[in-house]
Amino acid sequence: MFSRTLGALALAVTVACRPADHTAQSMRDDAGRPVAMDRPAERIVSLAPSITELLFALGAGERLVGRTRWCDYPPDAAHVPSVGDGLNPNVEAIAAMRPDWVMFYMSPSNDVVIGQLEELGIATVSLRTDGFADLKRAARLLGAITGTAHVAGQLTDRLNDDLDRLRSTTPPGPGPSVTIVTWSDPPIVIGALSFLSEIISLAGARNSFHDMERPSATVSIEVIAERDPDVLLIASDSTYPDWAARPEWQAVRAVREQKFVAVEGSEFNRPSFRGPKAVDRLRTLLAEQSE
Amino acid sequence: MRWIVLVAVAVVAIVIGVAVGPSQLGVRTLWDAVRGQGDETTIAIVRDLRLPRVSLAFMVGGSLAVTGAALQALVRNPLADPFLLGLSGGAGLGAVVAIALNVGGAWGLPLAALGGALLAIALVYRLALITGSVLDTRVLLLSGVVVGAFAASMMGAILALSPASDVRNALLWMLGGFDRASWRSLTVFGVYASVPLIVIYRQARPLDLLALGEEPAKYLGADVERTKRLLYVAASLLTAAAVSVSGIIGFVGLVIPHAIRIVWGHLHQSLLPAAFLLGGALLALADAVARTAFAPLTLPVGVVTALIGVPVFVFLVRTWAT
Repeated sequence: MFSRTLGALALAVTVACRPADHTAQSMRDDAGRPVAMDRPAERIVSLAPSITELLFALGAGERLVGRTRWCDYPPDAAHVPSVGDGLNPNVEAIAAMRPDWVMFYMSPSNDVVIGQLEELGIATVSLRTDGFADLKRAARLLGAITGTAHVAGQLTDRLNDDLDRLRSTTPPGPGPSVTIVTWSDPPIVIGALSFLSEIISLAGARNSFHDMERPSATVSIEVIAERDPDVLLIASDSTYPDWAARPEWQAVRAVREQKFVAVEGSEFNRPSFRGPKAVDRLRTLLAEQSE
Repeated sequence: MRWIVLVAVAVVAIVIGVAVGPSQLGVRTLWDAVRGQGDETTIAIVRDLRLPRVSLAFMVGGSLAVTGAALQALVRNPLADPFLLGLSGGAGLGAVVAIALNVGGAWGLPLAALGGALLAIALVYRLALITGSVLDTRVLLLSGVVVGAFAASMMGAILALSPASDVRNALLWMLGGFDRASWRSLTVFGVYASVPLIVIYRQARPLDLLALGEEPAKYLGADVERTKRLLYVAASLLTAAAVSVSGIIGFVGLVIPHAIRIVWGHLHQSLLPAAFLLGGALLALADAVARTAFAPLTLPVGVVTALIGVPVFVFLVRTWAT
């Protein structure tokens, strides 16, 4: 919640500064830290798949000199050397790339490394990329840092149009209730503060754990059975996960009726400008399941 | 009288375990669901989730307590338990290796865990003999802690390096819990646990003698070496069965035998069954707390047993020292 407030604050500051000067000196990142706009962004290390994809979308992909091992989109990202994990990353591997900018996913586990890089004179920025609103904010900030503000503006405008279209074409009625199961033992489900939850509501369905104000939660099977979702969503390429055959899961109606929707692909697990396409695809998959 | 109280405690623990849960069901609804009447989902929650889960927690708790009681007599040290002697760690490592190699299945996992537990106890035993031909129980316990730490770091290495997310998530499973409980896993556990439980119970008299010391036990006619081998293997199998259905759960094996000795004395003929009942009751209640305290979120049950076990342990050490 605190980070939400900070994010809203950062947004307010950003919006307030915009009319005066696009590359305003006083822009702040999602952690509330001022962003140094006078630094060149020629050698960038991105420590989040969503940021890597955003930089490529802005046309700044060729300036990337490092990425995480999870950055798998666009395919060109594979040509950028990996520095390992993005959370609590290896500071030596990053410094070895001689970056002038390092871009982090906002998390307390990165604070130490951010401090170490700042001491080395490397500029850093922390971005929270959990939803479409975050994506738009991040595009504006990275557009300013990399000098691609006009591209960021175009992409954001198109995204706004797409989101408006999706909202106006939401199927009538409450829609099916969906539980997103990311792990089975112990059962871990996706809560309200997750990109997948946003995708599901744009697709005209309801996350049955929307009351959980967190990205994910460990619950018991009993809770899932009681909330009785119409469909189980799994991030996998198989439409029938191994655990669904286990006897204890038969207490869940959607498991007994084999109501699974499998979403595969990075457009579902991180916010990007491909998001509206992901919503369209999920609508089709949910419609197939309710037939 | 004390048996009646103990049985009553066990029954109450089981009833509470079935009655409470994240979904609040009234007495009437519960009773209907137990008899198979009412809403299909409610019946499934009570019959296919809660009943096997509470039964499994009870069986595992009882088995851990019996293992702890047997080990404490075997090594003549009140601090012995499956966790501190490295048995749980070895069993966990065996299970994680099997999961990483994707072999085993429900029936094979306990065997992989048994392999790990036997290796661990053999290593611990060998280390304890380094100082001489006589087993030093203090070195034995330290070796157990060291081997347990080694197993934990090996598990950490496998989990960190494994590309498959399901192996990484085995870390969560190792924290202990009964989310895997079903009538099938209860059957698996029952089959693997019944033999060592019977073996340990039949060794009640030799355990009484061993608790006096190996030399006196020999003079009093016990076949010490055979008894020790039998008990170590039985303890390993019980621990392996428990770890493979519910992960690593500490403190039950340590605390329960002590509590029972205060009331029941030191004769294993009655100590072992009493420890089984109280250990079962404790773990069934601990799991009920884990499921409901922060519902709909669940806690790892090992957290709850530690919260109950550590203060009880401190209390026991104090009464024991004075």
